[in-house]
Amino acid sequence: MSRAKFGVGIILLAMAALSISACGGESTGAAALPSGSVKLHGAGATFPLAVYSQWNFAYKLANPSTLVNYQGIGSGGGKKAMIDGTVDFAGSDSLMKDKEYKAAADKGVTLQMFPTLAGAVVPIVNIPEITQTLTIDGPTLAAIYLGTINRWNDPALAKLNPKLTLPDKPITVVHRSDGSGTTEVFTKYLSKVSEEWKNGPGGASAVEWPADKLGNGVAGKGNPGVAATVQATPYSIGYVELSFAKLNNIPFFEMMNAAGNTVTADAESLNSAMLDFGDQFSDKLTVDTISNGPGAKSWPIAGYTYMIIPMNFRPDAAQGCMKAQKLLDYIYWFNTDADAMAQANLLGYSTLPESVRAQVFETLAHVQCDGQALQFGGTAPQAKANSE
Amino acid sequence: MKENTASDKPAAAAAFRKRSSRFQLLTQHGDVFWRGLIAVTAIFVLVLVLAIGWTTWRDSALSREVFGLSFVLPTADASWNPVTDTYDAWPLIAGTIVTSVFAILIAAPFSIFIAIFLSELCPMWLRTPANFVIEMLAAIPSVVLGLWGIFVFLPSVVVPVGHFLENTLGFLPLFQGPIPASGSSRLAAVLILTIMIIPTITALTRDVLRAIPDSQREAALALGSTRWETIWQVLIPASLSGIFGAVILGLGRALGETMAVTMVIGNNTVEASGSLLRPGATLASTIANQFAEAVSPMHSSALIELGLILFVITLLLNMAARLLVYQVQKKVPTEARA
Amino acid sequence: MSAVGQSASRAAQPILPRGLIKTKNRHHTRRITNLAMLGMTAAFTLFAAIPLIWVTVYTVMTGAKYINVEFFTELPASVLQGGGGVSNAIAGTIIITLIAMTISIPLGILAAYYVAEKPNTRLGLVVRFATDVLAGVPSIIIGLFAYGILVKPLGTFSALAGGVAISIIMLPTIVRSTEEMLKLVPRALREGSLALGAPDWRTSLVVLLPAALAGVVTGIMLAIARGVGETAPLLFTILGNDHYSVRQIVQSGVESGMTPIQILRELVLSPTDALTLTMYRYSQDPFPERVQQAWAIALVVMVFVLGVNILTRALTARRLAGRS
Repeated sequence: MSRAKFGVGIILLAMAALSISACGGESTGAAALPSGSVKLHGAGATFPLAVYSQWNFAYKLANPSTLVNYQGIGSGGGKKAMIDGTVDFAGSDSLMKDKEYKAAADKGVTLQMFPTLAGAVVPIVNIPEITQTLTIDGPTLAAIYLGTINRWNDPALAKLNPKLTLPDKPITVVHRSDGSGTTEVFTKYLSKVSEEWKNGPGGASAVEWPADKLGNGVAGKGNPGVAATVQATPYSIGYVELSFAKLNNIPFFEMMNAAGNTVTADAESLNSAMLDFGDQFSDKLTVDTISNGPGAKSWPIAGYTYMIIPMNFRPDAAQGCMKAQKLLDYIYWFNTDADAMAQANLLGYSTLPESVRAQVFETLAHVQCDGQALQFGGTAPQAKANSE
Repeated sequence: MKENTASDKPAAAAAFRKRSSRFQLLTQHGDVFWRGLIAVTAIFVLVLVLAIGWTTWRDSALSREVFGLSFVLPTADASWNPVTDTYDAWPLIAGTIVTSVFAILIAAPFSIFIAIFLSELCPMWLRTPANFVIEMLAAIPSVVLGLWGIFVFLPSVVVPVGHFLENTLGFLPLFQGPIPASGSSRLAAVLILTIMIIPTITALTRDVLRAIPDSQREAALALGSTRWETIWQVLIPASLSGIFGAVILGLGRALGETMAVTMVIGNNTVEASGSLLRPGATLASTIANQFAEAVSPMHSSALIELGLILFVITLLLNMAARLLVYQVQKKVPTEARA
Repeated sequence: MSAVGQSASRAAQPILPRGLIKTKNRHHTRRITNLAMLGMTAAFTLFAAIPLIWVTVYTVMTGAKYINVEFFTELPASVLQGGGGVSNAIAGTIIITLIAMTISIPLGILAAYYVAEKPNTRLGLVVRFATDVLAGVPSIIIGLFAYGILVKPLGTFSALAGGVAISIIMLPTIVRSTEEMLKLVPRALREGSLALGAPDWRTSLVVLLPAALAGVVTGIMLAIARGVGETAPLLFTILGNDHYSVRQIVQSGVESGMTPIQILRELVLSPTDALTLTMYRYSQDPFPERVQQAWAIALVVMVFVLGVNILTRALTARRLAGRS
């Protein structure tokens, strides 16, 4: 008996110790929420993960009554969660297909995608001997991913980098293991620059990688997984969203764009890419691709990242339409708040040009909940925060 | 309270007592409820297993209907393509079998030797710490092993071993290189799985050996056998089917292991060479990687069918292993008598 | 019979330096084989200890560097700010484990009574086999199952779905260990209780359970250790939640006048996080700080899991010592 009690006691003690540490000691950031506060859960693309989580922290300070949680589980995961109705909003860089809109519509939900940011996808590289920036063009990149170029000292690469001595080592090709918008942006670009890629793997959120069949492909989960895999694998090449490369100091290629100029990925070249396709939005507020734009300064592999929300929110069981309203307030905030936009640029994303933002706002003004119109933009939460 | 009521209203109390005693009689003093309760919970455990099997069966209907048997059959040109919604499980089944079987081939002799040491040879003072090591090894969470695998084990062990195998046995298709520089490969999964299943097989084998009565050992030693001969020629044959059961249970664990394997295998769902030095994927690792993002009904259905395959395999292995282990447990006393 | 012995001895010879084998007589060979093979068993055992020591020492050394007070008390910080902790995951793991315990302990113990009391009935055998099968079902399948029966119908990822999945992992361990312990209780105790007129349920709960309690608790502790270390069943069930905080939910619940039931609902039905899931996520993160936190989490999980295992061993050893 006493020994058993001792055992139970130990368990309780351990639990209590952990509980105290977890609950009692939280000093900042976990203060009680004002009454009427809401929690919004989103999931999806890892492409904008860095900036969304940054915004969520900033928004908590600006507007303590709303907690936004965003988990990077992949664009496919975001779309699935949205169709299954398991999250409040989703992030995705891959466009929803007609059957996906229909799957949601069958459940009585009209889903709406809208762009939040544009990001650059950069080819990242790990060659221990080389510290200088490498240059690559579209066809060569496609050839590497097709497996027709499989050593670093291939003449095509040597010609693009005349000043460097490339090692005679096999190339390990790193790609995503999950469905991904980053992959969609990347493979759509490869389809644009290579007929062989277009007729082979094609451009989609998940493709059959030729390198896998050849046995030199390795997959990582999410943008973080690819970045980590490339870092851990000498002589590998991969592709990630710019912010992941920048924040981790992973070397990435400069690229020769459609206009024949060598450019690097930054806010300027990204903005140029967006403007190349500024007037091509469909009625679903999506644009197929903004890759390989003709602009002289345009970064060639670029894409919008989207949020997905219902156009007709169902009232929450406990909080009615308040959650939907707070979500719209949050969306308005990151589209207009100067700090939020500055953080996005700092992280290597580019915020929307005014012309595009106007189209987004036009659509979001019609979001409803339970048949009632919601307010978009009228009660800007950052105004409240400023006055306090 | 009761007594008070009884003295105040004797008739009512008598009626109450009569009623309650009848109630007690009917329910056998509550035992009817008790037996019902424990029977219901016992049946619940059974229902739970059936429910897991049934839901995986039901939710994989789409993929089963469309792909039929070709889903699991060997094919040279396998695809796992969410764009065209065509899926072949063969490379994943092969990857699962290859990694598990090689892990077993390494782990089984290891485990049997360790079990022999623990049950037959270990000096008393060492017995507790030695058993302790084996049990702790079994207790390390899979995800911790995976983390250690990625950052420590792969670069320091798997990569050199991979290069060695490539240089010495590279002419065999099984050891065609090159191993990715990160070490993510089937070989990595094999070695991590080996570490994970050694405790399982060891513990069971040790118990089987211990179940053999001492009279057997004494008889063999009295006939002039050395200790090793006693172990190898008497004890091992006597417990062979039990050891076999232990190995099968180890295999079951290896087949279904998810986290550590997902973290080190490289997650290549179509690599067909079967070489140990190449990245691959297993049934469990593919589910873990893709299920959360399977948007198309066919994709998630195909992934659930992978789960179904895994469920059926582990079910069959468990049945086989339990039968073998039960058999030994039944057989040993008879032999002792003989 | 002897063929086995010979082949073993042939295999063993090259291991030894030539000079040792002076005579090739059979006796000598047998002695050397004996020593060599016995030595090998010891060497293999030593070899098996290497990964354990390596993992443990490396985790402790690395984890200890990155563990600090913030780690336990703070929510995750954004990547730009750096720092922060994993209090959300600690809270989530505790809630998930509590849910799993609430479900699996009563169920496991009651089912164990049935299996222990009616071991040879058809249902008893089948349930026992079902328990074995359940113990062998890969945990990822249990995750799929919990997604199908809870996440999708409820329309939200939740601590509840994670807790249910973990409870299914814990259940077989509890059933088997409780069953073993109940069988160890001397028959006389049970018969005495029944002879005194106590009904079955009273005998079971008031006499048998306390007698077996130490062992039952040991089994439960091991089951908890296993549950805390699981990751795969949580992949599709709890989503992850950077803001999960028990204190915050309770405090804001109280302030906005929610009933305790509503607060509990919120705790249980919110998406949550877990230590192992966070470790998995962070292990694939390119930010060095996240990887460091993954090691710190690994340290905490290892200390808990190995600690519980060591503790139960100590308890069992003491109990056995007391018996003999």
